Amino acid sequence: MDTSSPAAFVNGGLLRMHVGRKVRTVIQVTRSDAGSVMGKSTDGCQLVVRGSPPAPLTSYVEVIGVAENENSIRAELWTNFGDSFDASNYDQLCQLANGELKHLFL
Amino acid sequence: MQANEFDGNAAFAGGGFMPFQATQTAPDRPSSSSKNSDARCLTPVTVKQLKDLSKVGESGISIDGVDVNNIVLVGIISKIDNAVSDCTFRVDDGTGWVECTKWIHEHVDSVEVDVLSVGMYVRVYGQFKSIQSRRSIHTFSIRPITDFNEIAHHFLECIYVHLYNTKLRLRMTSATDGMTAQPQVANSYSGNHIMGYSYQTNSTSQIRGISSMVLQYLRRPACLASEMGVSSDIVARELNVSVDKVRKTLDFLASEGVVYTTTDDHYKFTDA
Repeated sequence: MDTSSPAAFVNGGLLRMHVGRKVRTVIQVTRSDAGSVMGKSTDGCQLVVRGSPPAPLTSYVEVIGVAENENSIRAELWTNFGDSFDASNYDQLCQLANGELKHLFL
Repeated sequence: MQANEFDGNAAFAGGGFMPFQATQTAPDRPSSSSKNSDARCLTPVTVKQLKDLSKVGESGISIDGVDVNNIVLVGIISKIDNAVSDCTFRVDDGTGWVECTKWIHEHVDSVEVDVLSVGMYVRVYGQFKSIQSRRSIHTFSIRPITDFNEIAHHFLECIYVHLYNTKLRLRMTSATDGMTAQPQVANSYSGNHIMGYSYQTNSTSQIRGISSMVLQYLRRPACLASEMGVSSDIVARELNVSVDKVRKTLDFLASEGVVYTTTDDHYKFTDA
């Protein structure tokens, strides 16, 4: 059992709190190129995810990686989350997991 | 008659479990120890919570002061070790990773295990094991997740259970101390919609608090003297409790034989 390398739940607004650290988030893909994917975070911000996404990509994709700056992530792990996903639910989770309940996660 | 909700036997059993809960429930005794064999609850946890365990012993573990038996985890498989009689998965839920060992006894076990691969999101049901300070999960079931909303849902459940066990339980148990407790607030905290992890139902503590107040009122000389007894409206008004609650309490007390009805909606203390 090991908890030395957790990934924080983030949305667009919370990404800046974890720059340089491992994060996880779900984005709705707006554009996908060879080396990067642009998407909308669960709170409506535009994020850029660098890396090689799986092909094909579904509308929603979860990305686990390192936050480069307040709107960009360098992805290590991609998971297709399908074409229907409750973004507001996930967004609420991000806020709770970074608030006073942080100790359950990080 | 609204008294159907309150099972006199259950209330008298001293524990108070919600008859409606389909699966596992656990009667709550505020000073209970882990030896209560009815505490077969299923607790959603994060690996971080398992790492931070306050008490790890022979009789089991406890999280947030509550005995934990079986746990649910949701995470990604990051490693698989396949042996003949068992299969060990390293499951990473974002807060940490833990080894989950599933023993392969029958064909159905190997079928379950064969569909799993590294990188897959899974839901693990199992029991926490700590052997020579090596912590792992003895896995009953490990299944792939197909609806990814389950992931957010699981973590929200972890948060909910944590808050329930730390704040709500404290508020309810502290409020039941003392017979002069004010009637409890929030009917919404009744155990009905809080599934497996509900412990005490608020309804039994409500009854204990209110029933003593009602009994005390009915034992007053004026009430004892009256042939007709006292109507539930008056009791409610005098005690500043809702008529609904008073009626339920009186029905319960009547079913126990402590009070009896004279005419419609009038009650008298039995031992006059």
